Amino acid sequence: MIERYSLQPSNFNPETPKELVILSIIAQSFFQPFSLEDNLLVILTALTAGSGIGFNRAMLFLNDGMKLKAATWLGPRSPEEAEAIWTMLSSPGIGYAEIVAYNRDLVTKMVKDIQPRLKSLVYDLESRALSLPALAAINKEIILVTEAQNEPAVDPNFINFIKVDSFLCLPLVAQDEILGEIVVDKGITHAPIEAKDIELARLCALLAGNYIYTTNLYKKVVEMEKMAALGEMAAFVSHQLRNPIVAIGGFTTQMLSSPCQPERCRRNLNIIQEQVKHLEDIIYKLSHFLKITIRELKPVDARPILLNLVERPDIKLKAAKKTISLKIPENLPLIQCDPVYFEEAVVNLLDNALDVTPDGGKVYLRARPYNDKYVMIIIKDSGPGLDEKSRDKLFSPFYTTKENGTGLGLLFVKRIIDTCNGKLEVQSKPGRGTMFKLYFKIQERG
Amino acid sequence: MKKILLIEDDLALSLLYEEELKNEGYSIVVAHDADSALELVKKEPFDLIITDIRMPGKDGIELIANVMGLRKDIPIIINTAYQSYKDDFMTWAADAYIIKSSSLDELKAKIKELIGN
Repeated sequence: MIERYSLQPSNFNPETPKELVILSIIAQSFFQPFSLEDNLLVILTALTAGSGIGFNRAMLFLNDGMKLKAATWLGPRSPEEAEAIWTMLSSPGIGYAEIVAYNRDLVTKMVKDIQPRLKSLVYDLESRALSLPALAAINKEIILVTEAQNEPAVDPNFINFIKVDSFLCLPLVAQDEILGEIVVDKGITHAPIEAKDIELARLCALLAGNYIYTTNLYKKVVEMEKMAALGEMAAFVSHQLRNPIVAIGGFTTQMLSSPCQPERCRRNLNIIQEQVKHLEDIIYKLSHFLKITIRELKPVDARPILLNLVERPDIKLKAAKKTISLKIPENLPLIQCDPVYFEEAVVNLLDNALDVTPDGGKVYLRARPYNDKYVMIIIKDSGPGLDEKSRDKLFSPFYTTKENGTGLGLLFVKRIIDTCNGKLEVQSKPGRGTMFKLYFKIQERG
Repeated sequence: MKKILLIEDDLALSLLYEEELKNEGYSIVVAHDADSALELVKKEPFDLIITDIRMPGKDGIELIANVMGLRKDIPIIINTAYQSYKDDFMTWAADAYIIKSSSLDELKAKIKELIGN
């Protein structure tokens, strides 16, 4: 016999201990698209909701590298409000999403009156004379403060701000890195902070620390990826521009350095003009390539696009001495793509296929449903085919076998198909021609 | 007259190099890809090889490896737009690594240094 349970915590029965309810709600964040702000707010709510863990207010500090800065302060303003939040939390069907929505609303309301004043709570972590609450973060230990007025280690400005005599400082630490601090108090109920409160608060602090750590790490990775892509692009572009520039410079020098025969001068100027055109082509394609961002995938009827495409004058001209064998069924399912980019991708491949197919040869353009998820489009040429090495290089930027090629066409095709969540396959053997198979997702109806 | 084999797939550039080096008093044979260059190396003696790296088909690095197998004594100059191949150990086998420039002075000076006029 087997029994199945959902990984995601759902409704709790009334006997479930409140600690478990709270931790389960926090755990729901693992199933949400990651948002640091939302996750931290849920933790702050768990800490402060009336009969929840039992604190009333929570202040979040974040470490910006040098300084610990108060970021937000959350909590009910009265015992009634505290009870209302907890009632909401304990009602059936309430989970992470509802709390996030509730909190966003609450924080928006708070921003005006508290946020400007919060800005004055800044502690320099490098400072030697560090006071509480910052001391807890720097020492990486939980500190419970009672009778704060008589405690010289507490910053008087802070006491003046929160106006309570007893509070708990929870450092947010992960991988030995100080990420921030949460200060909680019972400023509304004025109940004492007990050992059991500290146990649960510790767990919340550990989770909050890890959320911040993960977010920082994620930001770093994204930044690094961006820089790497930029560096790669810059290297490719500068290499690609070099050949035409060297030719332009070289032929110009030639004309200037010795008396130039009119015929020779004319030839050089023609070469220079050609090279400038090539440079323009590279720049045009590059900017075009960088622009591809498909915001919304639309249902696209591929059939009329493919049928029109072979009638395009540029394609007809190229295909004058060749045959395009076209087979596209009438009931082809709609695919997910962008109609303009779809056409560009296929034109690019068809153009290449016509280029390498000798006069009298055939180019095949086919489309059919591949399975219930994909439509397959095939473009096959009767050209010389590719060996394994050239096939591997096909999609590297600026790889070209054409005299005036930019080596961006196939990269462009791949990028379009990637953005459409499609797939691309190449089959080729020397002497057997090259076949591109494009798989586009079928648009589900309704 | 010293004979140089020039491998360059870009037609405008190969014309430029050919004319400029002929002007310096060398005899120039041009190949536009590695395979035809290797055929030439098998058939004719050369005093120097100048090669690009990124070319359709076999690249310059493979070409150098093949030439080393045929004739170890021919000096080789790599003339490329790419700085990055300098780290490839096969390019260490070449006698010089020059980044393509619109001024051919460095290339000419290196040729003179390696094989004289």
